[in-house]
Amino acid sequence: MRSSFLRILVLALIISSLGVLSIYSSTYQKEGTPWQDIHMRQMLWILIGLICFFIMAHLNYRRLWDINYLIYGVAIFFLLLVFGLGIIRLGAQRWLKFAWFNFQPSEFAKLAVIIFLARYFSRKSADDISLLSGKFGIFRGIILPFIFVAVPMFLIIEQPDLGSGLMLLLVFVSLLYLTNVRLKYIIALMFIIMLPLPFFWHFLRDYQKQRLLVFLNPNIDPLGAGYTVIQSRIAIGSGGLLGKGWLSGTQSQLFFLPESHTDFIFATFSEQWGFLGSSLLLLMYYLIIRQGFIIAGRTQDSFGRLLAYGISLLLALQVFINIAMNMGLAPVVGLPLPLMSYGGSSVLSTFIALGILVNIDRTRSVF
Amino acid sequence: MERKHILRFLIILMFVALLAGLLNLDLLQGAKFRRLSDSNCIRLIAQSGARGNILDRHGQVIVDNKISYDVLILPQELNQLDRILSGVSRILGVETKELKDAFRSNYISSSIPVTVAGNIDLKKAVLLGEYKMEEPSIIIQPRPLRNYPYGALASHVIGYVNEIDRWRLTKLEDYGYKTKDIVGFGGVEEKYDYYLRQEEGGLSVEVNHRGKFMRVLGFEPPVNGKDVQLTLDLNIQKIAEDSLAARKGSIVLMDPQSGQVLALANYPNFNPAVFVSKRTRLISGLFNNPDAPLINRATSSSYPPASVFKLVVASAALELKKINLSTSFLCRGWTMIGARKFSCWDVHGAQDIVAAIAHSCDVFFYKTGLLTGAQNIHDYALKLGLGRSPGFELPYETAGFIPSPLWRKINKFQNWFDGDTANLSIGQGDCLVSPLQAAGMMAVFANGGYLPSPYIIKAVGGLDLSAKKRKLSRVDFKKSTFEIICRGLRAVVADARGTGNVLAGLGVKVAGKTGTAQVSRGSTHAWFVGFFPFDNPKYVICVLLENGGPGHAACVVARQVIEAMNKRNLI
Repeated sequence: MRSSFLRILVLALIISSLGVLSIYSSTYQKEGTPWQDIHMRQMLWILIGLICFFIMAHLNYRRLWDINYLIYGVAIFFLLLVFGLGIIRLGAQRWLKFAWFNFQPSEFAKLAVIIFLARYFSRKSADDISLLSGKFGIFRGIILPFIFVAVPMFLIIEQPDLGSGLMLLLVFVSLLYLTNVRLKYIIALMFIIMLPLPFFWHFLRDYQKQRLLVFLNPNIDPLGAGYTVIQSRIAIGSGGLLGKGWLSGTQSQLFFLPESHTDFIFATFSEQWGFLGSSLLLLMYYLIIRQGFIIAGRTQDSFGRLLAYGISLLLALQVFINIAMNMGLAPVVGLPLPLMSYGGSSVLSTFIALGILVNIDRTRSVF
Repeated sequence: MERKHILRFLIILMFVALLAGLLNLDLLQGAKFRRLSDSNCIRLIAQSGARGNILDRHGQVIVDNKISYDVLILPQELNQLDRILSGVSRILGVETKELKDAFRSNYISSSIPVTVAGNIDLKKAVLLGEYKMEEPSIIIQPRPLRNYPYGALASHVIGYVNEIDRWRLTKLEDYGYKTKDIVGFGGVEEKYDYYLRQEEGGLSVEVNHRGKFMRVLGFEPPVNGKDVQLTLDLNIQKIAEDSLAARKGSIVLMDPQSGQVLALANYPNFNPAVFVSKRTRLISGLFNNPDAPLINRATSSSYPPASVFKLVVASAALELKKINLSTSFLCRGWTMIGARKFSCWDVHGAQDIVAAIAHSCDVFFYKTGLLTGAQNIHDYALKLGLGRSPGFELPYETAGFIPSPLWRKINKFQNWFDGDTANLSIGQGDCLVSPLQAAGMMAVFANGGYLPSPYIIKAVGGLDLSAKKRKLSRVDFKKSTFEIICRGLRAVVADARGTGNVLAGLGVKVAGKTGTAQVSRGSTHAWFVGFFPFDNPKYVICVLLENGGPGHAACVVARQVIEAMNKRNLI
């Protein structure tokens, strides 16, 4: 029990330290104060994240069950705020400006939705303490929770943040799969979602269409939408077996690679540390996620179990989509790499999620 | 299987897919992406070394290089470019538009610096160097250019340099030649291009995504070409060119003991500098001139040898014992061969071999030639180095031509008549010899029996090649043959009625043979081929004046050369 706490803490610390190193390497040559101390800010966020991690690790996660509607409500509130401000300012916006930092509600909304879903599917029958989800029909098993997911999803996609929105959908589908909801309902839901996809094409913004087309063939627009993917692939590939060495990555340090400290930090890292470093990083991510699955597997409490699965899945999907997008295997959707990419909200929400995970393992013996 | 296991399996699958992706990018395609990454941020700035100098036998420079400066700019964003170009134009005093046009027309790719101005002087280069502090994307590059301190002197020996042409490029691609390379054309520049050629070095610099200069990654110093030292003596060469004095023709001076060419002058000649300064009008003038100033007359053109060829007939007849010292023929000014009358240029009376050479009596040689036979004359001409390539180092040498009955039969399906033999005996007809071949033949009589293969390269890159180049092949005539012919050659000058008498009384004993070649159109070609000093021959001289009149004219030119050399104590 202690070991899962330590393992997750150590892994998360190593990964986020590598993140700071990569952020430093990709920004230290830029001029101007916001760039010069950006790695210090990230370290500060990691520090705050660690505090949150310890707090969440010691706060009984069952409290989340109680305040679950509140969390969901607050998340929706912030998303609406971003949405409203976006309409007022006539411009897309994903974050709220606070005193000295930008707050990105979608990062927390993902967590809130997972907590909500975990609670929804782990309600028990008052009569025989069996899980209600097994008896759910199509409405209560699929449609109702989908509505609860669809509201924040819609708000996030409208920001526009297609990546995070789809992430919610993916986590929702995989959580459905883990509960006792019948398979045919899930397939029906998927079918319903897939069916109007061609129709949705027209609702996508121009740049989103561009990105999808470019994903299929980056060379149709090598200096425009395809530029990032091409440069990112060059960055990763040019690392070779051992990499170019820290602070010697030409792609990221000479600014050929855009967003080299946020969404494309994996390319930055991979250029400098090569195949060996990158596969070790992948291994560490895998170990954290595996730890999550182990915790979920040995938790008796169905809320805790679903929550642990949800958090692990969220982490796994974000890591996968981000790295795949770095390698040009997935379309560019604007998703940060958890723990590594620069960004307070992402770091904070990831540490909170990991804290919850650890706490689930700590308190499972209570029952 | 439980759903959670399937899900876990899917997660593992995802990570395996990522690992496979990494494997593909890093290891399978790593080299390609590495190259792409380098070409993103590394710019190569080529820096050329200097082409090797060409020196005379005493190490004096005939051709060297002068430094000129080029201004190059690393391609980058447009508004920055405008600012830089206007700064450069202020310093150079050239309009910005001109520089912009140059930039546009010279732009190759974003990774290669663009030349916007060439050939600027040192002062402006220094000023620009200061401006470079502000705008590091300016590159000032020294570029050595061919420099010809003596202008057209020895131009045919040297050749010229120019941008490589398509034909040479296809031939030389495998040896590292590239488009736009400057290579030699004609002369030593072409034949020894591989040694004279400089190796390009360069600077590799790192730039950021805007093409802004970041730092120097490495520098490979360019390697200068090797110097080529010629056997040419600059003093003698100058004398030869001055004596030729704008008369069409050529002068060759050779050391008969080794075959070293000491001077090789041709007129019309050209100034190779016009190819460096790219003066198109002058260049096209050179190519269109009907007098063909680019032709090296001494090695690439051949002329009827006329009376000079009588030496071949004389040696053949003496060797084959058709005549001897006491044989004499009567010259009445003409003789009948078959039904045709062959005339001499004068009435000489009774002539023995020595007198016949001295007076260049045609009748004597008609008769001697008929005794000897055309095929024998042909064979002895070849022994004396005529009718075959002398194996000289300059490109495009001619082999000349000596006809023979057999050749006539095979190639023209015609019979050979005695009249043809008579014509051949006085070096007319189809017979053709280049001035260099004539000088080589004379060297055999000068050194008493060795045919030298002429050469002009003394050393390459400081390595002396004379020992390797010196090739003398024995011409196994009897000693008496050489003695008799040399007496004749001396008599040409010494005899009061000798055709080369104008060369007597110079303070140096000269021997030689004149020739007056009849041509189908225009005035005759004038020949003088000889050697001096007679007792200890140090120089073979061959003067040919194209359409220059009788052989006497060539003797006058030879006299000028020998007089000038004597005055400067070169003999």
